[in-house]
Amino acid sequence: MTTTESTDVTAAQGIGTSPVRPDGTMKVRGEFAYSSDLWHEDMLWGATLRSPHPYAHITGIDISAALALPGVYAVLTHTDVPGVNRYGLEHPDQPVLAEDVVRYQGEPVAIVAADHPETARRAVAKIDVGYEVLEPVTDSEAAVAGEGPELHPGGNVVRHVPIRFGEQDVTADVVVTGRYEVGMQDQAFLGPESGLAVPAEDGGVDLFVATQWLHVDQQQIVAALGLPKDKVRLTLGGVGGAFGGREDLSIQVHACLLALHTGKPVKMVYNREESFYGHVHRHPATLYYEHGADRDGRLVYVRARMYLDGGAYASTTGAVSGNAATLGVGPYSVPNVTIDCWGTYSNNPPCGAMRGFGAVQAAFAYESQMDRLARACGLDPVEVRLRNAMSEGTRLPTGQVVDSAAPVDELLTRLRAMPLPADRSGEPDLRHLPGGVSNTTHGEGVVRGVGYAVGIKNICFSEGFDDYSTARVRLEALGGEPAATVQTAACEVGQGLVTILQQIIRTELGVEQVTTLPMDTSIGSAGSSSASRQSYMTGGAVRAAALEVRAALVEHAARILGHDRGDLSVGGGKVVSRTDGVLADLVDVLGDAAFDRTVEWRHRPTESLDPETGQGNAHVQYGFAAHRAVVDVDTELGLLKVVALDCVQDVGKALNPQAVLGQIQGGSAQGLGLAVMEEIQTEGGVIRNPSFTDYLIPTVLDMPPMRIEVLELADPHAPYGLRGVGEPPTISSTPAIVAAIRAATGLALDRVPVRPEHLTGT
Amino acid sequence: MRTFSYVRAPDVETALRTIATEPNAKFLGGGTNLVDLMRENIERPDVVVDISRLPLTGIDELPGGGVRIGALVRNSSLAAHPLVRTRYPVVSQAVLGGASAQLRNMATVGGNLLQRTRCLYFYDEASACNKREPGSGCSALGGFTRNHGVLGVSDHCIAAHPSDLCVALAALDAEVEVESTRGTRRIPLTEFHHLPGSTPHVETALAPDELVTSVELPAPVTTRSRYRKVRDRASYAFALVSVAAALEVRDDTVTAARLALGGVAPKPWRATEAERVLLGAPATEESFRSAAEAELASATSQDGNDFKIELARRTIVATLRDLLTDRSAA
Amino acid sequence: MRLNVTVNGERRQADDVWEGESLLYVLRERLGLPGSKNACEQGECGSCTVYLDDVPACSCLVAAGQAEGREVRTVEGLAEGEALDPVQQSFVDAGAVQCGFCTPGLVVAAHDLLDRVPDPSDEEIREALAGNLCRCTGYEKILDAVRTAAGAR
Repeated sequence: MTTTESTDVTAAQGIGTSPVRPDGTMKVRGEFAYSSDLWHEDMLWGATLRSPHPYAHITGIDISAALALPGVYAVLTHTDVPGVNRYGLEHPDQPVLAEDVVRYQGEPVAIVAADHPETARRAVAKIDVGYEVLEPVTDSEAAVAGEGPELHPGGNVVRHVPIRFGEQDVTADVVVTGRYEVGMQDQAFLGPESGLAVPAEDGGVDLFVATQWLHVDQQQIVAALGLPKDKVRLTLGGVGGAFGGREDLSIQVHACLLALHTGKPVKMVYNREESFYGHVHRHPATLYYEHGADRDGRLVYVRARMYLDGGAYASTTGAVSGNAATLGVGPYSVPNVTIDCWGTYSNNPPCGAMRGFGAVQAAFAYESQMDRLARACGLDPVEVRLRNAMSEGTRLPTGQVVDSAAPVDELLTRLRAMPLPADRSGEPDLRHLPGGVSNTTHGEGVVRGVGYAVGIKNICFSEGFDDYSTARVRLEALGGEPAATVQTAACEVGQGLVTILQQIIRTELGVEQVTTLPMDTSIGSAGSSSASRQSYMTGGAVRAAALEVRAALVEHAARILGHDRGDLSVGGGKVVSRTDGVLADLVDVLGDAAFDRTVEWRHRPTESLDPETGQGNAHVQYGFAAHRAVVDVDTELGLLKVVALDCVQDVGKALNPQAVLGQIQGGSAQGLGLAVMEEIQTEGGVIRNPSFTDYLIPTVLDMPPMRIEVLELADPHAPYGLRGVGEPPTISSTPAIVAAIRAATGLALDRVPVRPEHLTGT
Repeated sequence: MRTFSYVRAPDVETALRTIATEPNAKFLGGGTNLVDLMRENIERPDVVVDISRLPLTGIDELPGGGVRIGALVRNSSLAAHPLVRTRYPVVSQAVLGGASAQLRNMATVGGNLLQRTRCLYFYDEASACNKREPGSGCSALGGFTRNHGVLGVSDHCIAAHPSDLCVALAALDAEVEVESTRGTRRIPLTEFHHLPGSTPHVETALAPDELVTSVELPAPVTTRSRYRKVRDRASYAFALVSVAAALEVRDDTVTAARLALGGVAPKPWRATEAERVLLGAPATEESFRSAAEAELASATSQDGNDFKIELARRTIVATLRDLLTDRSAA
Repeated sequence: MRLNVTVNGERRQADDVWEGESLLYVLRERLGLPGSKNACEQGECGSCTVYLDDVPACSCLVAAGQAEGREVRTVEGLAEGEALDPVQQSFVDAGAVQCGFCTPGLVVAAHDLLDRVPDPSDEEIREALAGNLCRCTGYEKILDAVRTAAGAR
């Protein structure tokens, strides 16, 4: 499927344009219903009792005092879970409610429904749980070495991914090694975990929830409730951001249990502190790398050991480990690779999906190494990357050949060509200097550094996963105009998928009026809003359904107008003949007819990785982005300011150019956060900063202006040639910023986030 | 949050009478600290006395050049007031660097004085905390101490005071006026907050039945004053280390110096040792460094906050240097 | 307790308000105005920003009783019927809305800024909005929106 076939790129508000998002007006008016805004007559409020201990046996649970509180309608524990008390995205290893052991601080032990949220909170406080506290397991490397108690049957290694590519024992003239650490980042989406479960007359339940994948939620709820699928119906509530943090269950089963038990609707909303306990975080990582190259800086080998701490439950640790390993050398051509990546269990907070999904951790390590290599060879950081850059036809360490554009060199050369911000000279506006609001230095002792980084991300799901999306498109005349309706279960989490789906319909059917139906489980799965996959997969499904509708419409028009089918096309609300021009208005041709097609759409298949060698055509597509950061550092006090963060990214085809920029800017901000301020601090498995007071995310004052260039080098295997956009900018931004700080200060800085005390050496 | 009753005081007299007669009552000003602490169940008053509408909102010039600031003056008004900006720029800077516009619009001067520590163990009811429960211990010791104090701490408490404004006020010899049914008294700001010693739960000199009604600043020794803060991002965050300083220099000699530190102690830390070294010394980087070393000589640290000692010295030197070269005094 | 408060120009009353409820809770759960958001309820994110007697405040930290007799203006009160306020329109047009959870608070904060400083510099915009967190946009398009709105007013 190439980009030129069957695409009318001049369709008004079609692909390639930037129409405003259809929910934008409601959002600015405060009228858009997020899952935390839902309300139902007679509803109760749910609350969760969570373990204060990272690792403990439960010796008893006494709910009597909680039940006795006026206004309390239910207090439930694991004995009230009618189906299977286990769920999980890869392994069903996580209890809906804890039984005899808790494995992380914050693990749910009991749930309450009451008539006021404060009553529910007080009831939770009255539940008496006996704990026998155990020493928590917190060391990933020790787990791999087989040390420490087993947290799950089978030991504490969730997955080991070995990669053996080329020769394993080669030597090289220039060798650089490093040990790197990436702290635990949090998605910190603003909309709290929330939803509303409404018990139904048929004995089932209707759940309105903010999530990333309705059908996988449904599967897990069905198993826990012991109900058939048609009795558990999910509808997407408005989502206040996700970034991977809503892939795992939060309130879903709990709210349904309480609703079914009480016979009343139950709403659950986490506060911010609970949110930090209530979702998975980014895997913290320790990475040991060795790069060997010739004296010209050309890579001979890369060897790496990667330890990803997955915390108490598996979540998506397996897939994260697979990504980190397969993308572990970065967007470079390396003839000999030895990688071992371990994802482990511990009693640290559970980790799973966060934008970048393993590629972030690897990129910090391999890009730091490339700069080390540059220094060792006397090359500049861009030059060493250009000499090793991947391109179309390069083989990844998995043996898979990159079979579409991989413009690594072009990203870097374009970045390098961008003008640098002006030197600070004369009397600068002090607000541009490190220190921030009302606090800036006067400029002495401030040094500036420039850093580059380039990253690679796999787009869509990998390793043989049978991923697909389902879309339904309907075309008919409504109110005297041709009108299209699109229905998918694809979760709009803020990225702007709803806009793009409408644009695709406009392009393919030439129809302006497009309505999007609510996302729910009445239609088949659209897969996850993650892995930067939705434009590709649900866009692909919508396109495919629209094309089927169009084909049926053209056939119908051919019959009505007495024209040859092959001669006809639709566009701009008209039916057009190649030979005779405009034949009729589409609405007249439609009459009372409706064309309604549902398509289940797949990408080309991928392969699993060989368990010994990591070889296999595991990925569907790659996304590439590069950043250049300019950072001013006040070395005396350790204050810094990112002065510029420029980016070049290849998106294949920008379906909505404005939204593409929004993704690049947003992703880069999250990368900046990881570089200089964001970390979940744990102490013996306990989270010490579960608040926005102490878990700092970038504000408007922390973000610099960004120069962005978007390349559109079509992937011939993808709908419209597009490449997933959301994750690549989160991957190269962090190492570029740290590289700039290193350039300014000469410090090694092997760990992110970088803190003031790392810069002052105090 | 516990159940409590809410009353609004129509005048100062009624407020004082209420606080004197109710055994467990607290005043509510802007609410930016108290409401949060009540939600965390750290503060548990039975009665909340809303004083936010009392007529304590003036900023008045005093004969002699000082200024009297009503306890209910909002942070935003304080920072913006021309008298404050011109005579005590360190105060404006401290407030503007402290919190967002929204919070500055709500927070009061009196509330700022009485705000409590942000120590994460103080906030975590699963941790031992001698402030929350006298005698229960201090989980911060040996814990995650990056945000804790290095001066004036004890074996019972190493928390840091979170205020920016109080650091500026401490440097400038502010006095706090408090009232009760028993009368009025004045407490120097430097004596208003207590060090923890063996009683960390006793945080201020305020009796339970007293209301802060105003803060007075004497005429400024110099209008060359500045606030610097080291924090983890360009925008609002609590200080790792902060410095409020005023410096007067004549003929290259320091003729007056006022210095206080934030983020490093359980109370706003008036740097008397540093001031002693500075007075009469040549106005050079070397003197600034000596002064800083003298002040931090008694510092003690945990593993997690050892960096604060040198950082505090450097921030003192940097702030004094800024004042010396002073391209932006206001 | 009973609470009397003027919201978006209208006199409103809420009964059986528990003293510990915040103004944010009252607006969202009792007065049918869920536009102001509850991202942190600790005054750290600005998503609950409303006008309280003409100045932006974090409604999550306002105890319900403190709002008695006062004037509140929320995001729902900025538009004139169908017509969006220029700040709202600019946010939509500039692509400054992604998930939109931060949007109500930002719109109120930006609206206040432009009332006070009709032609703000970039630095002034950044300082004024520094109390509003956004996780999706990276703030660039929010700045674009405020600049455009300044021009449009």
